[in-house]
Amino acid sequence: MVLVTIRTAIIFIVLLIIMRLMGKRQIGEMQPFELVITLLIAELACIPMADVSIPLLYGIISVLTIFVLHEIMTLLDLKLKPLKSFISGKPSVVVNKNGIDDYQLKRNNLDVSDLIESLRTAGYFSLDAVDYALYEANGTFSALPKQDYEQMQTSLPIVMIDNGKYDQKNLEITGLEQSFFDGILKEQNVKNVKDVLVLTADGTGKIYLQVKKHKFSTFNVAYPGGKSW
Amino acid sequence: MVKSLSAILASLVLLLGAALFEWFYVGDQFDSFKEEVETLALKAEAEEANIEDAKAVQSSWERRKEKLHVWIPHNDIARIDEYLAEAVRLVGEKQYAFAVSKLEIILHLTECLPDTYRPAIENIL
Repeated sequence: MVLVTIRTAIIFIVLLIIMRLMGKRQIGEMQPFELVITLLIAELACIPMADVSIPLLYGIISVLTIFVLHEIMTLLDLKLKPLKSFISGKPSVVVNKNGIDDYQLKRNNLDVSDLIESLRTAGYFSLDAVDYALYEANGTFSALPKQDYEQMQTSLPIVMIDNGKYDQKNLEITGLEQSFFDGILKEQNVKNVKDVLVLTADGTGKIYLQVKKHKFSTFNVAYPGGKSW
Repeated sequence: MVKSLSAILASLVLLLGAALFEWFYVGDQFDSFKEEVETLALKAEAEEANIEDAKAVQSSWERRKEKLHVWIPHNDIARIDEYLAEAVRLVGEKQYAFAVSKLEIILHLTECLPDTYRPAIENIL
């Protein structure tokens, strides 16, 4: 009985640490410890149910241990602020007035395309449509849009450079050449494409460019042959 | 807060109670059974054991195991069942040397099985 309790507690703590290390990507609207409990409780209840050679009491003891741990975690979460951030994590501000915070994205095992996907899901298609965007401790995404953000979203921005690499598929879709963007980078004094965190281009010619560890910039260009989408 | 603390305390008391009961009960059951098997083994060594003695030990084990099933995995109980059934048969056939070897295995199991449920590092990991 003591063994079952200790082993359940160890598995719980290890899973909680792993979930916290995995970042926000693996969590969906649950606190990390709640997700761990959800993962564990079904298994713990099922094993003695399916395997008749294991006393049913083992399952009951495990579930009771999980309940005690849940109550303790909830209490710590509510009453002790320093422990709250350790147990549940903190919100991560991934977009601020300087643009995308690459460090915060990496800390949460996310990349720019994940961020763009979250923004689109939240209804923001342009990276400069929001002043702030953050992943909450429970993994949900929140954004504070600019006042006139709807007017900024007249055409779908497409990612041309993601984390120092050209997106060949998107270049093909838009029919634009890599050399065209090389020229833009040169004009913007960007020496190497590897220095670019993200470059998006929309159908009206608006370019969003953010060089790593620098503030983003937006400007308009004319596409060769008057292309638009 | 009070509700949570009471729930935690009540659950901890239940867990602790179950753990202590398991500790003493399982240990006690195996100790008593071990004494019975030791007696039978001594008789078998002296070639004085008969089938009634062996069956008495087996019946005693059958009674104990009904309750032990609640506390320990059934596979562990089955190991003793198998060796005991063989020992009973061998005593009945008066093959005492073989019977003693089976009883020695049972004695070993009665010593080591309760240890596998104790909160020691090797059992936890």
